[in-house]
Amino acid sequence: MRRLLLILKNDILRHLKAPVAILLYLIIPIAMTGLIGMIFTPSSKDNTLPPIQVVLVDKDKGLASRLFLGAFDADQMKKMFQVTVADEAEGRRRMEKGKASAMVVIPARFTLDVLEIKPVVLEVVKNPAEQFLPDVVEEFMNTMAVMLSGAIQAFEPEARGIRLMLDGPIDAFPWESLGPEFGKAQKKVVAAEKYLNPLLIRLQEEKTKAVGAKAFMTRSDIFSAVLPGMAVMFLLFIVQTVMRDIISEREDGKLRRMLTTPLRPGELIGARIAGGWLMGFAILLVMAVFGTLVFKAYWGSPGYFLLLAAVTAFWTASFFALMNAFLKNRNQAGAISAPVILAFSVFGGSMLSTEAMPKAFQAIGLATPNRWFIDGAALVREGRFPAAALLVLAASGLILLFLAVPLLRRRSTV
Amino acid sequence: MLPGRILWYDAFTKEWNMLEIKNLTKSYGDLLALDHFSLTLEKGEVLGLLGPNGAGKTTLISILAGTVRDFTGSVRFLGHDLFSDRNLKNRLGIVPQDMAFYEELNAMDNLLFWGGLYDVPRDALKKRAAEILERVELSGRMKEPVKNFSGGMKRRLNTAIGLLHRPDLLLLDEPTVGIDVQAKVSILDLIRKVGAEGTGVIFTTHQLAEVENTCSRIAIMDCGRILAQGTMEELIRLVGEKDIVEITGNFPAASFTEALQDLDGNGIELLSAADNLATLAVADTEQIPKTMDRLFRRKLAVTDLKIKTPSLETVFLKLTGRSLRD
Ligand SMILES: Nc1ncnc2c1ncn2[C@@H]1O[C@H](COP(=O)(O)OP(=O)(O)OP(=O)(O)O)[C@@H](O)[C@H]1O
Ligand SMILES: [Mg+2]
Repeated sequence: MRRLLLILKNDILRHLKAPVAILLYLIIPIAMTGLIGMIFTPSSKDNTLPPIQVVLVDKDKGLASRLFLGAFDADQMKKMFQVTVADEAEGRRRMEKGKASAMVVIPARFTLDVLEIKPVVLEVVKNPAEQFLPDVVEEFMNTMAVMLSGAIQAFEPEARGIRLMLDGPIDAFPWESLGPEFGKAQKKVVAAEKYLNPLLIRLQEEKTKAVGAKAFMTRSDIFSAVLPGMAVMFLLFIVQTVMRDIISEREDGKLRRMLTTPLRPGELIGARIAGGWLMGFAILLVMAVFGTLVFKAYWGSPGYFLLLAAVTAFWTASFFALMNAFLKNRNQAGAISAPVILAFSVFGGSMLSTEAMPKAFQAIGLATPNRWFIDGAALVREGRFPAAALLVLAASGLILLFLAVPLLRRRSTV
Repeated sequence: MLPGRILWYDAFTKEWNMLEIKNLTKSYGDLLALDHFSLTLEKGEVLGLLGPNGAGKTTLISILAGTVRDFTGSVRFLGHDLFSDRNLKNRLGIVPQDMAFYEELNAMDNLLFWGGLYDVPRDALKKRAAEILERVELSGRMKEPVKNFSGGMKRRLNTAIGLLHRPDLLLLDEPTVGIDVQAKVSILDLIRKVGAEGTGVIFTTHQLAEVENTCSRIAIMDCGRILAQGTMEELIRLVGEKDIVEITGNFPAASFTEALQDLDGNGIELLSAADNLATLAVADTEQIPKTMDRLFRRKLAVTDLKIKTPSLETVFLKLTGRSLRD
C-alpha cells in the first residue's frame, strides 16, 4: 500500500510538471463550448424571445374562462404570452395587421358545460402569416384543455358542487374564497395523477416543456447542455494521456526496473488505475467549476453531480486500463485511442445532440460513456437522481476492471 | 527483518556462497538463450561477464532481476531461493541496460522515487540520495530535470539508482554503453569501489579493456554458457604463450582450411576459418612466414595480417572464434 501511494503520488506530480497536454485538453472543450454557445444563442440583449401576442375572446365570462386567463397570467407564461382580451372582430383585425399570432375563442356557456361534464370545444385561430408561434399557442391550449378535462372528470362531485354555487349571478361570486378551494383541488390532481389518464397528460406536459425550452433557451442553458458532452470527451482524452504510461513504461524499461524492486505487480496496477480515476475526477471538477465561472453553466445538485463524475471517471480509468492491456506499443495506442474516443463522442452525443441522430446511432450511443454521462448530467440539472447512468457506468466499469487487472498482470512479465 | 536474519545465518553457518546459480536454462522457442548456466559469486567479488551479441548476458541478468520467467535451474542468494522471498529483492540492486527513470523529474526526485520502492526508511533515503549524488558527481545539478542531462550523466544516474538501497549484490547490464571515456572511467571507478566495500558485483560488457582493470574475476560466455572464467592471468594462461594471427583476404573458407590442413604438428592451430577471414593460434612466430608461403603458393589472396600477442582479446578469440565488437 505504501508503494501504491508512492507511485500514485509520483504519477500525479509528474503529470502536473508536464501539464501542456492536460492544459490543452482542458482549454479545448471550454473554447468549443463557448463557440457552440455563441453560434446557437439568439443575439438579443436579454436573451429571450419577445412574448407571443395572443388575443383572448371570452364569450363565456365564467369561472373556467377566468382560469385560462389566470393561466396566461402566471409568471412563467407571462414571459411567453402577452394576452389581450378583445372581441372576435377586433381579434381578426389584429391578426391581419400582424399584431397577434393567434386568437383563442372561449365559447359561451363554456364554464357551465364543463362543470356539467358536457363536451366543449375551444377554438384556436392561428395567424396563417406566421409559422412557428401560432403552433406554440395551439400546443399550450391543447395542454390546458387536456388537463382541465382530466381534472373535471376526476373531480366530478366537486364540479357539480361548484355548478350549484354558480347558479347565483356571476359577478356576485366570491372569487377570493374560491382561490384556496381550487388550490386544494389542484393538489388532489397531483396526488391522484395515476387515476387520471396519466400517459396523455404527461405527454402533453413534455411537449409544452419542449416548446417552452425552445422558445426560452438562454445562453447559459445552452452552455449547460453542451458542456457535459465536451467535458466527457476530453475526460477520455486526458485519462488516456495519463494511462498511456502503462504502455510506454513497458517499452522503455521502467516497468522492468520497477519489477526488480519489492513492488508487487498488483500494487503498480492499482496505482495506475487509481491515478487515472483521480485525474479524471479532478478534470471533470475543474471543467464544472470553469463552466460555472465562465459560462454561468448550472449543474444541479452538487452531490449528484460529484457522484456522477466519480463514477464516469472510474469507468474511463477501467476502460483504458483494459485497452492498454491489449495494445502493444505507443504507436498503436496513439493510432487506436483517438478514433475510439471520437467514435464514443459522435455516437454518445458529445458532438451532436442525441435527438438529432438517426435511431441506429442513438442505440449505439448507449454503449458509450458519453451518452450516460450526458443523460445523467441532464437529469441532475433537472434535480433528479441519475440512477440509471450511475448503475450502468458503475457496473460496466467494474466488469472492465475485472477483465483488465489479470491481463495487465500477465503482461507485466515476459 | 530479513537483513538481521541473514546476518545471524551468516555468523553461525557460513555454508553458502552469496550467489549460487545452477543449471540455469532458458529458451525462447527453439533458441537456447541460456544453456545450463552455472556460476557462483562471493561477497565483494567484481565479476566481468564478457560475451558477444546474443550470448545471453541480458537474459541472465533479467532472470536474476525477476523480470523473465519460464526458466529451469536454481538461483540461491544469501542462502535462500531468490524467487521464493520478495524481501530478498531489497538486497539486490539492478542497473538495467535501458535508462529507466523519469526524464521530466530531477535527479533527486528520481532517486527518492526509485529508492522509495525499496524498504528504506524515508529519512535514511534522503540522506543516502544526497550521498550517492555526491558520489556520481551529480549533486551540483540534482534539481534540474533529467532530460537536460548528457548521456554520461544519465548513465551515472542510472547506476546511482541501483545503489541507493545498498544492495548486497549489484547487477549491471552494459553500464558503459554509448558514453564518453570520462564518464566510462567514473562509472568503472564506482563499480570498483562498491566491490571494495563488500558488495558483490556482476557486470556485462563487450569491452575487454573495461574488465581488465575493473574486475577481480572474468567470465567469458557465448551461446548461453560460460566458456572460461578466472582472473586475467588464469585466462591468459589458457591460450598458453601462443600468438593469435588474423588473416584477411579474398579466399573461400574451404580452400584456406585445405591449404593449412597438415600444419598442426608445427604448433599452428586453426581457430576459425570463414570466407576472407581466418584466425590461427601460433606457438612460434617463426612459423608465420612458412604459413604465408603456403597460402601464396596456393594463390590465395591475402590482403592483411595481424599478429596479436597473448591478451584477453586473444583468449576471447580462441574461445569464441569471434572478435568482440560494440
Ligand atoms: N524476448 C525475446 N524473445 C525471443 N528471443 C529473445 C528474447 N530476448 C532475447 N532473445 C534471444 O536470446 C539470445 C540471448 O539474448 P540476450 O539479450 O541475452 O543477449 P546479450 O548477450 O545480452 O546480447 P547483447 O550483447 O546484444 O546485449 C539472443 O539470441 C536473443 O535473440
Ligand atoms: Mg544485452
